[in-house]
Amino acid sequence: MIGKLIRTDFMKIRRKGIWFLTVLGPFGVVALQMVNYGLRKDWFIQQDIYSWFYYIRNVIAFTPFALILGIVILTSFMASIENETNAWKQVIALPVTKWGVYLSKYTTLAILLVVSTCLLTLFSLGFGMFLGLDGGIPYLDLIKYCFYTFFASLPVLGLQLWVALVSKNQGIPITLGIFGVILSYMAYFLPDWLIWKWPSLDNQWDEPIINVCLGLAVGLAIYLVGMIDFMRRDVK
Amino acid sequence: MEYIVETNKLTKRFGKEYAVEAVDLRIPKGEIYGFLGPNGAGKTTTIRMLLGLMEPTLGNIKVFGKDLKRERIGILKKVGSLVENPSYYPHLTAYENLETIRKIYGVPKKRIADVLEIVRLSEVTNKKVKGFSLGMKQRLGIASSLLNKPELLILDEPTNGLDPSGIIEIRNLIKRLSKEEGMTILISSHLLSEIDQIADHVGVISKGKMIFQDTIDVMRRQSQKKISLKVNDYERANRILISNGMKADFSIDSITLPEHHDEDIANIVRVLVENNISVYRIEEEKRSLESTFLQMTAEERGL
Repeated sequence: MIGKLIRTDFMKIRRKGIWFLTVLGPFGVVALQMVNYGLRKDWFIQQDIYSWFYYIRNVIAFTPFALILGIVILTSFMASIENETNAWKQVIALPVTKWGVYLSKYTTLAILLVVSTCLLTLFSLGFGMFLGLDGGIPYLDLIKYCFYTFFASLPVLGLQLWVALVSKNQGIPITLGIFGVILSYMAYFLPDWLIWKWPSLDNQWDEPIINVCLGLAVGLAIYLVGMIDFMRRDVK
Repeated sequence: MEYIVETNKLTKRFGKEYAVEAVDLRIPKGEIYGFLGPNGAGKTTTIRMLLGLMEPTLGNIKVFGKDLKRERIGILKKVGSLVENPSYYPHLTAYENLETIRKIYGVPKKRIADVLEIVRLSEVTNKKVKGFSLGMKQRLGIASSLLNKPELLILDEPTNGLDPSGIIEIRNLIKRLSKEEGMTILISSHLLSEIDQIADHVGVISKGKMIFQDTIDVMRRQSQKKISLKVNDYERANRILISNGMKADFSIDSITLPEHHDEDIANIVRVLVENNISVYRIEEEKRSLESTFLQMTAEERGL
């Protein structure tokens, strides 16, 4: 059943520009580095930081911001597809479970974000190779940091999806989302327990893996709370 | 009688207000059941509960003899529905809209062309629904409710927003589905005239309570025509009619006759005139089904 639901969800996002955004996000992040390295290449060389290590740092500095913005936009899009003509009543009156419907929306978004993350890895790799940075190409680090950011942002995905799916007024999730984006932008100043800080992979122990574990655990918890709340609600 | 839908003290409360109160719905197999009531009487809320969209506050629902709460998915596989305004994805074509539903049911792709044919939308199969007229969207909604060849079809105000020819078309379609496919159909409306012409059974709901539920014939019998006479001397007219063995209801200022043949009315008048009673007026009191319905729902509202 879940497979069928996910396939219908992918049908529903056709022609909505969602795939375009999925590609635009990672492209934008790398494009910022194009500007960065285009303008300051000499300075990087001068400072002796023209290396893969610093390049990856630069890329993942902008990723949380883009990823959270992407999550906000995609979840809201996803909800608006069903909200627009209140198609919920049609979907839920089909022989499907409500948790299945919720899981399908979540999975569809997760797949889109994984595609984005893969693209980010590829684009970063491509531009890095184009720059001819110093040292060997750290494939593993590149993949690791891109996906760490994704896993650490799962709680935000869970929260945004929950709020977007249960709000009739999409102004609410968008407002929450904008706050999230701003918070993620100043992640450095945030306390460690705030979920918007986690995608920055920064914490007082300097162990990014902690953010990943927290992201997975809390992400699952928020997902479950959202799903149960969605199941409990009447479809108007 | 075998009931396809059977509810028991079905109740839904929103805050302090009872939207639906102790409704015992009985929909016999293979019949068209008209669910009538003014706007806001609780029709849509009842239907939402029948589809599992809303959880009843109290009471239970049996569909196909099975408990809805426990076997919701199995039941919904055999139910088609259109609730209130049609839901659709405007950025998708008619075909794609139906495909999103077909995938869930797992019926053959050919069925999409079939249902589009049934509602006469074949020509716009690959057009985006965005540009459809309200009537076309409504028909698309009906098409999607037919995808799984349902045994029970639930249509909530299906003729809302349709023009007269559209209304007739839908009416004929409903009749045909009932006759040819043997579907049990629940159709709700706030207009009696719509139900009157197709339904076998009627349920009238007002302020959340079921105030009438029986065959449409029983409802018709409650609303027959009457002839009332105005004469100069009711007392004497009364005696004359009784002594001539004619049935009539008397009051101080009118004589009402249940529906008679024209010939009987002529006879009564002749007898009265021959006995020197002045007959001022002979009026036909048309109590239509509509006014019976209005009266039923008005009494409930205390207007």
